[in-house]
Amino acid sequence: MRALCWNGVNDLRVERVPDPTILAPQDAIIKVSLSSVCGSDLHLIGGYVPTMRAGDIIGHEFLGEVVEKGPEVTRLNRGDRVITVSIIGCGKCWHCEHEEFSLCDNSNPQPAFEEMAYGHCTAGIFGYSHAFGGYAGSHAEYIRVPFADTNCFRVPEGVTDEQAVFVSDAVPTGYMAADMGAIKPGDVVAVWGCGGVGQMAMKSAFLMGAERVIGIDRFPDRLRAAQMKAGAETLDYSRVDIYDALLAMTGGRGPDVCIDAVGMEADSGAPSIKGLAIEDLYDRGKQALRLESDRPAVLRQMIQCCRKGGTLSIVGVYGGLIDKFPMGAAMNKALTFRMGQQHGQRYVKRLFEHIEKGELDPAYLLTHKWALDDAPQGYRMFKEKADDCMRVVFAP
Amino acid sequence: MTGDRDGGRRPEGSAGTLERWAAILGGTALGFAGARRGSWALAALGGGLFLAGAAGVPLSSPLRQVALPAVRREPTTTQANVTIAVPAEKLFRHWRNVRHLAALFPHLDAVEILSDTESRWKAHGPGGVPVVWNSRLDKVRENELITWHTLEGADLPHRGTVLFRPAPGGRGTEVSLTLAYHPPGGAGGNAVSRLFGAAPEQQAREALRRLKRIMEVGELPTIEGQPSGRAERGRVTAKLREVTG
Ligand SMILES: [Zn+2]
Ligand SMILES: [Zn+2]
Repeated sequence: MRALCWNGVNDLRVERVPDPTILAPQDAIIKVSLSSVCGSDLHLIGGYVPTMRAGDIIGHEFLGEVVEKGPEVTRLNRGDRVITVSIIGCGKCWHCEHEEFSLCDNSNPQPAFEEMAYGHCTAGIFGYSHAFGGYAGSHAEYIRVPFADTNCFRVPEGVTDEQAVFVSDAVPTGYMAADMGAIKPGDVVAVWGCGGVGQMAMKSAFLMGAERVIGIDRFPDRLRAAQMKAGAETLDYSRVDIYDALLAMTGGRGPDVCIDAVGMEADSGAPSIKGLAIEDLYDRGKQALRLESDRPAVLRQMIQCCRKGGTLSIVGVYGGLIDKFPMGAAMNKALTFRMGQQHGQRYVKRLFEHIEKGELDPAYLLTHKWALDDAPQGYRMFKEKADDCMRVVFAP
Repeated sequence: MTGDRDGGRRPEGSAGTLERWAAILGGTALGFAGARRGSWALAALGGGLFLAGAAGVPLSSPLRQVALPAVRREPTTTQANVTIAVPAEKLFRHWRNVRHLAALFPHLDAVEILSDTESRWKAHGPGGVPVVWNSRLDKVRENELITWHTLEGADLPHRGTVLFRPAPGGRGTEVSLTLAYHPPGGAGGNAVSRLFGAAPEQQAREALRRLKRIMEVGELPTIEGQPSGRAERGRVTAKLREVTG
């Protein structure tokens, strides 16, 4: 089959690779019909995650058809149209039983990396480096899904392919971000990052009772989508001081819930530290020297801006260590931090219901649909955010 | 160790990704740990690891020379712990049938039951070196504990204890595995390093992890045999070598 392989920093190629086969009794093979790019793939492509190996197939957000299943797969049938949650749960461990699928004890076949770096290992993720299991990803004609009964979900008739594909990753991640914010009616929610996940976090915040949602980005098309599609007010961080603007919009209180949908490659943008973008220079320098693995500009801003006693919900991806973390502000302001990779399996049913009722329509995230053969260009376009690209979806 | 299981080759002269990852992240953690304990030597080692990791410097050989002699002088006792979401009775019964243990230690080839308390074990070290020992149960407390020791003439003399106790909050069972090898230097020490390389604690941890995965989900997650762009490329370079070499 053809697959998009990572060969080194910013080196993606579509190559011929062997077809996947059933390797364990709970596996299924899915013929991929749509597979989307994701912002977190950019961290892998850029070489910020140290356990990628040349030849790895990337991609973790996909929709397809079950073409083969192992002897212990009981809930799926050949021909089912399914999405697969990007983060793999075994379905049986204590964490999976408590619907914390991204903390699964058993789905990561290469736990040594994470145990050494993080103290414990978390779930395997498709196409997401060897620290997260080294599973082959979805930018391919076929993909093998372990523990298929837990991770594959039949798509209801009334939901289109273009809506469903994002229920693998972007929609549940955004939904979980809002869910972790424990939003109460009347809350003001600020969302850093107006990409796919940020857009879904904004929509979800409204579904959970937020009174006002503020989207923060610097790309005009994303800000427009946040306004037109997600119903948010917007701030362009390259033009305004985010702290001043958020306090002005909230009577000096600050947002009740701050959501980070950006992660480790954040820009601090305009002079958020008065006068100079020293912060950006500092983080970029240290990151380039590998003295700091992640740039925490958004985290610092959120801690500064959040109302006293408010909640920070983090779904933007971080890999390792950050410097100059304003712990004093966080502690003295009694902030609550919630974070994690998405527990998508917990939300899929609810999300399909929202989509069927017309309360949520993620299809607008799909701005470009390309052939798999053009995937390297697709990623370039997504990375450069050219042509108002929100998400490129590949159809093998 | 597991990082290279699917047959990839790392570029010559650069540190493996596992080492780099560990050095970058663990190096700093070690640095902090060192500073906290007031051990500046440890802190400096952490800092050094961090920088070496950052630069992708191959660490393993110098590190082995520095770190391992010290490790080898210690008697080898190793413990691993895991919580398994299964009742103790089930785990006890599984472990009591020593034939099941072959699936937990990849070096084990066969376990032969000689009597109710004695069994004969055959394993292989790196390069297929055969390792054989007889083992006798000492203490068996139903659903709680199993201890054993190896008999005279064992290639891998050791004592072992596996302990099962209920985990709080209905989380299942806490399992501890303790293995004590004869102090290295003698035949036992050689066999330990032959069989386990330098990391018996990792072997013990992985054995318990396999037990957990078998008991909780009935299979071990794997990526062995999945497609990647490596297989094809490997073949191409091999062919090129044939032509040019
Ligand atoms: Zn993603
Ligand atoms: Zn699990």
